[in-house]
Amino acid sequence: MSEDSTQSRRQFLQKTALGGAFAGSFSLPILANADKLELPDNLPHWMRVPGADFSNYGQPSSHEQQIIRWISANPDALGNGVSWTPLHALQGTITPNGLHFERHHNGVPQIDPTQHILLIDGLVDRPLSFDVKSLMRYPMVSRTCFIECGGNSNSGWRSNPIQSQAGYAHGLVSNAEWTGIPLKLLLEEAGIKPSAKWVIAEGADAAALNISIPIEKLLDDALLALYQNGERLRPENGYPMRLVLPGWEGVLNVKWLRQLRLSEQPAMTRDETSQYTDLLADGKARQFSFINEAKSLITTPSLGMMLPDNPGIYQISGLAWSGRGKIARVEISTDGGDSWVDAELQGPILDKAFTRFNLAWKWQGEYAILQSRATDDSGYVQPTREALITNRGKHGFFHYNAIISWEITEEGDINHVYGF
Amino acid sequence: MFNWDNKNVIKSLLLIGLFGFSQAGLTKDTGYYGYGKSATQEEIAAWDIDVRPDGKGLPVGSGSVSYGEELYEAKCALCHGAFGEGEGRWPKLAGGFDTLTDAKPEKTVGSYWPYASTLWDYIHRAMPFTAPQSLSVDETYALTAYVLYLNDIIDDEDFVLSKDNFTEIEMPNKDGFFVDPRPDVKNPACMENCKDPATIKVTSAIKGITPLQHIAKEEGANDKASSDSEDQQPKSADQVAVDNELKVGSAIYSQSCSICHGSGIAGAPKFGDKMAWAPRIKQGVEQLNKHAIEGYSGKTGIMPAKGGNPSLTDAEVSAAILYMIENSQ
Ligand code: HEC
Ligand code: HEC
Repeated sequence: MSEDSTQSRRQFLQKTALGGAFAGSFSLPILANADKLELPDNLPHWMRVPGADFSNYGQPSSHEQQIIRWISANPDALGNGVSWTPLHALQGTITPNGLHFERHHNGVPQIDPTQHILLIDGLVDRPLSFDVKSLMRYPMVSRTCFIECGGNSNSGWRSNPIQSQAGYAHGLVSNAEWTGIPLKLLLEEAGIKPSAKWVIAEGADAAALNISIPIEKLLDDALLALYQNGERLRPENGYPMRLVLPGWEGVLNVKWLRQLRLSEQPAMTRDETSQYTDLLADGKARQFSFINEAKSLITTPSLGMMLPDNPGIYQISGLAWSGRGKIARVEISTDGGDSWVDAELQGPILDKAFTRFNLAWKWQGEYAILQSRATDDSGYVQPTREALITNRGKHGFFHYNAIISWEITEEGDINHVYGF
Repeated sequence: MFNWDNKNVIKSLLLIGLFGFSQAGLTKDTGYYGYGKSATQEEIAAWDIDVRPDGKGLPVGSGSVSYGEELYEAKCALCHGAFGEGEGRWPKLAGGFDTLTDAKPEKTVGSYWPYASTLWDYIHRAMPFTAPQSLSVDETYALTAYVLYLNDIIDDEDFVLSKDNFTEIEMPNKDGFFVDPRPDVKNPACMENCKDPATIKVTSAIKGITPLQHIAKEEGANDKASSDSEDQQPKSADQVAVDNELKVGSAIYSQSCSICHGSGIAGAPKFGDKMAWAPRIKQGVEQLNKHAIEGYSGKTGIMPAKGGNPSLTDAEVSAAILYMIENSQ
């Protein structure tokens, strides 16, 4: 890719500094009429009347009501399904609590926190039970991390590229600041027997979802989260308490947690055998695919948007994340992967958290395929779809992290394609 | 990341600054901080519902295949089908033997699940879907036996499954799993002249739009997507699904939508009018579905929720939209 088609953000800003606005076409009339702006006639009506009252809990502007989670549930069992974060409509890296993706197996339990108990038992010296109040007294820490469903982007395994907006195909991933008690501390309260190798976690929902987690992860960086972005967890995200296992697939981050049972072996539950396992072409299946491998997604421009001016300068922006650590690098290609240039990473770059990347792009009306490629600090590079399918066959269904391609037509339309 | 020195800092703060008693005095029989309670035997028993492959956790009890059949017909067949074939969008429970390497693999209890204990555990905790944890121990043994019978893993109708003989059951795919050795896929991260532009292939969607597939195929639908994802000759599974959808859609359209969309009255985009539909299709299927299901007031007029027919399901409205779109582009 040549220097003049993909520019650094700074160059881009210098060039447009005089125009003063991102879209030149509507910046000029405003400048020309600058005097008029002073006149009372041009005052917007909301400056002529007192504003609205205070509110107990703020809501988004009524002009933003189309920014929603997209629900795809079983129409005959409304509590079984998912809702997708509209990543294409958000900026920065933190997912607002009301837009954090959901995956429920049998609905959102309406838990009375005074009735909820967490039991730690099995291979421990002293089985303990905790109510919410007692947990609130423990020392807490906060950490920002993404949680991604093992089924995110699974339409990618299909032979035809799905025509859904970026978040509605890849938004079973969200990023929040979680605050809670390091699990290591709670397990040590109970006293870990040396034979304990796994922990079976169970949720207090109508699926009583249970799953096995290697104890090392809980002793490393796992949290019993009570707060999400500063406020208590939302019911759909596990109120009153959930596991947060930074970088490990969503189903392990058990919501509505009610039990941690230490065990010498995994329980082989339905959600670690029948589901969340990758069937390979030879008929064997990978099991215990805990880590969400590095992935990236261009959120603008993306399907559902258009490129209005030709030629025009556009900000390519997106998100990258890895369950192995920090994002080290994101490159962008506009020619279907023939050439790549580095995008700018926006700090702070946190471990196992969303990292936003940006790059200015000068489009001159040519047919283009936009792709992003993430590399994490372990050296792992996000694979092409071709390589992923070659390795895993077409029936993996879970754990899809291949490079995502947006086709830009000469008219400035955007489609999702598989390009390689 | 959490810094473990914190704990020592707290310890010394407590020791020096506040209370001044010894560390031994702080360690309670409920742990160092000791804010929890010792769990009672009743609590532990009530929470103890996991069943493992080695049989650990199985309660005393038993149930026969024939009792299981009775229960299954009353409590499960409605969703999972009389033979476990899965009604509509519900998971299939039986069949699919030797299909795991096929173009359309079918993952079921019989063809895919490695352990029978998983079946007992899951039925007991999560099924029937509308009344989880309502089955007794004996009922769970009977239902487990019957689902295994539907899968030809038990072949004797008089068989009685119990705590004692449970671990003798062997599942056909017990050796079908291995611990994921990821990372498995490499990318050399080429920067320049990575490919010959002439050989770059692009796969686009059929007619540029694949509505409903998205909804019909998320993971909650028991992996239907993975089996449907395969191209078939001469018609792909995707195309068959679209065709069925179109049939439903055409009926709904003439009954509930054509009154406005047929002639374009009241500002409704007219059926077949490509110009009128192009910018709307551009918004994406989600947006169209949302507008038609919830209703909205737009630039050209008012689209009533579900065309003013609240008895339509969301899926029926979506099917009608698909039908309109397919004939208007
Ligand atoms: C109202 C519909 C409904 C009824 C009735 C019902 N189920 Fe289910 N069943 C479901 C749904 C939905 C799922 C998938 C849940 C999920 O994805 O988390 C499921 C999943 C299962 C599974 C796991 C399938 C797999 O491949 O992972 C088994 C086994 C099962 N049900 C057995 C039963 C038995 C036995 C009964 C009768 C006691 C029963 N079900 C009654 C709806 C139902
Ligand atoms: C009473 C008249 C009326 C009926 C009946 C009706 N529509 Fe509409 N529909 C409209 C109008 C008017 C608009 C355009 C609103 C606008 O964009 O200003 C519209 C727009 C739409 C759109 C485009 C939405 C968008 O975002 O651009 C869809 C899709 C749609 N209708 C689907 C349906 C379906 C499906 C049915 C039948 C179940 C139906 N309509 C029945 C009047 C109707």
